[in-house]
Amino acid sequence: MIRIIDSKLREISAVIHKMGDLAYQAISIAIKENFYNGNSYHKIKEISDILLTLNDQIEDKAFEIIARFQPVASDLRTIKSYMKISYDFTRLGRYALDISYVNKHFGGLKGCNGWIFSYAMEMSEKVLNTIKISIEALKKQNIEIAISISEIEKDIDKIYFEFLHKIIEEKNVESRIIVSSILTIRHLERIADHATYICESIIYALTGVKEFLR
Amino acid sequence: MSIYKIEIENLNAWFGSKQVLKNINIKIKDRVVTAIIGPSGCGKTTLLRCINRMHELVPGARISGKVFFNGVNIYNNGVDPVQIRRKIGMVFQKPNPFPMLSIYDNVAIGPKLNGINDKRTLDSIVKRSLILVGLWDEVKDELNKPGTSLSGGQQQRLCIARALAIEPEVLLMDEPTSALDPISASKIETLIRKLAEDYTVIIVTHNIQQAARVSDYIAFLYLGELVEYGATKDIFEKPKKKLTEEYITGKFS
Amino acid sequence: MKMTTQKIRKIKDIVMHFMIYLTLLIAILPPFSVMFEVIKRGFMAIDLDFFIKTTPTVGEAKGGIANAIQGTLITIGLASLIGVPIGVISGIFLSEYGENKFSTIIRFFNEVLNGVPSIIIGIFSYTLISPITGFSLISASFALAIIMIPIVTRTTEEALKLIPTMIREAAIALGIPRWKTILHIVLKGAKKSIITGILLAIARISGESAPILVTMGYWRWWFHGLNRPVANLALNIFLFANSPFENWVILAWGSALILILMILGINIITRMLMRGSF
Repeated sequence: MIRIIDSKLREISAVIHKMGDLAYQAISIAIKENFYNGNSYHKIKEISDILLTLNDQIEDKAFEIIARFQPVASDLRTIKSYMKISYDFTRLGRYALDISYVNKHFGGLKGCNGWIFSYAMEMSEKVLNTIKISIEALKKQNIEIAISISEIEKDIDKIYFEFLHKIIEEKNVESRIIVSSILTIRHLERIADHATYICESIIYALTGVKEFLR
Repeated sequence: MSIYKIEIENLNAWFGSKQVLKNINIKIKDRVVTAIIGPSGCGKTTLLRCINRMHELVPGARISGKVFFNGVNIYNNGVDPVQIRRKIGMVFQKPNPFPMLSIYDNVAIGPKLNGINDKRTLDSIVKRSLILVGLWDEVKDELNKPGTSLSGGQQQRLCIARALAIEPEVLLMDEPTSALDPISASKIETLIRKLAEDYTVIIVTHNIQQAARVSDYIAFLYLGELVEYGATKDIFEKPKKKLTEEYITGKFS
Repeated sequence: MKMTTQKIRKIKDIVMHFMIYLTLLIAILPPFSVMFEVIKRGFMAIDLDFFIKTTPTVGEAKGGIANAIQGTLITIGLASLIGVPIGVISGIFLSEYGENKFSTIIRFFNEVLNGVPSIIIGIFSYTLISPITGFSLISASFALAIIMIPIVTRTTEEALKLIPTMIREAAIALGIPRWKTILHIVLKGAKKSIITGILLAIARISGESAPILVTMGYWRWWFHGLNRPVANLALNIFLFANSPFENWVILAWGSALILILMILGINIITRMLMRGSF
């Protein structure tokens, strides 16, 4: 049976998907700029601001649904998750902006090679992958896909800690690059965390179980 | 002593050859509000009426199974249904105060016919019951007016006072607010929560939101069977059965 | 002249209104004219003697109907004493416990009895009671009681049926036993209607003359014992109205007026007593 609330939920869902795509876009740009030339700070800021606006919209819509429809069970869990996921995508946008800031003011990883470069590269790929997984799990409402993020998240954590231990020992690299790389990799790690939160919210919405994937 | 006021074991109920309750097993806790929800015709009212032995008053109606009240099966051979009904009161969907009696007499008639004749005792019982339901201030100067001279919401509260006057332990309520306006309904919902401090309340409602507001436990009945029973919070956040989820989210009517 | 539909409708409306008022008049006219005649002629019969003396014998001047008033009151009273309890209890039984075959049969016979001509009931009482008591007040009251019973039963049952089931349910749910529910709640609520039914039955038997004639016959004196006849207004009207004696005819008209006033009086007094209970 079609209910009034269904169309309202679909409205929020459409906005969330848009947010996901925007967040992915922002982070891709920021990461690419990190390794290669580019000056996309303003573009990324634009996207981040759009994400903030959309988050407000989703909050408003969610509260409207709660006030009007008194949702229960799966509807209630869905709304709760939408609000969390929306916030998480907004955070992704902010982190993209932060990475871009590092690029703008410290030059990013330009001119660096060797192990730092390859660690950063691997980390970036994996992090982009986590965002892809969270967006796909969201689109397909699939628990298995959401759970699969756990493996990659563990890898990312491993790389993160290895990197930190190694960079402390590093004596032969410009301080600029040290600072840039630490900041960038830190941001990437947080991005992966938020992508994981998104997957946890998806699982909660579908099953009611609060599972930790970290 | 069990914490369960009422334990229903393998209860089946029929109207003639039509079976309306199938193998109901449920344990109702003392001093909580338990709501029975479900689509029309699923047996909610029948279940309620099996608890105070009013189901059997309908010609052709019968039950099998056990209903334990304070540990004793009320359907045992020696049990007097009249005594059961004094301990398990009932409030009906449409307010039905006795039209031929005054407000005072409406509340007093239960105790009076149970043998209490002292005027002072009756006065205090009437006052206590009317205060309990929040009617005293509204009617204390009009106790001699007929019971039907009150508004719908007041009449229903009068019926609740009438039921409470004989000091039952359990209060059964069959859709008590469905014939009332929202404000009266809200007053009665508040009253129900207050009553749960001293009585075991079982309320049948087809208003899912009301069940969510008012109850501590929910039993979901569908086509005469108990589909799910649990704490209200759990059922409304994460029902265990798909059927329950579909009913409370309105995916089937 | 061209008539618009509007005008035709208006004319139809006026004609219908006229017809309704006309038929109303035709319906009201007979009872009113009867009342008027009775009052006019009966009034002429009333004086002090009317209420003091007994009915006169042939040729005796004037006289009164005092004994007839006494006799009628006693007869109705005794009949009610028998008929009302039986009727009310039957009515209660049929209404409260009457969902079975037995009740259907009782109801059927009740309806049949209701339609039996009163003369036959009189003869029945004559053959049953009179051999024991002779022509007597008991025999007459017995016949009148039998006439009363179906009326009281039916009106009582219907009055009780008017009390909604949910009132009974509410009482049962309070842990009030069935019989107490009936006594204190259901009957209380139907009190007015039941009493109306009883008054109806009393009015009916007040006017019966045939069974009186058959079981008791004419009586000229005061009350002389239950196993003797007693004077009766309705019978006197029947016997005196077409008699050749003028004073008897006048007495007949007077009796008619008194009879009507008596029934009216019983109604008013009862309703006054009932006043104040809802």
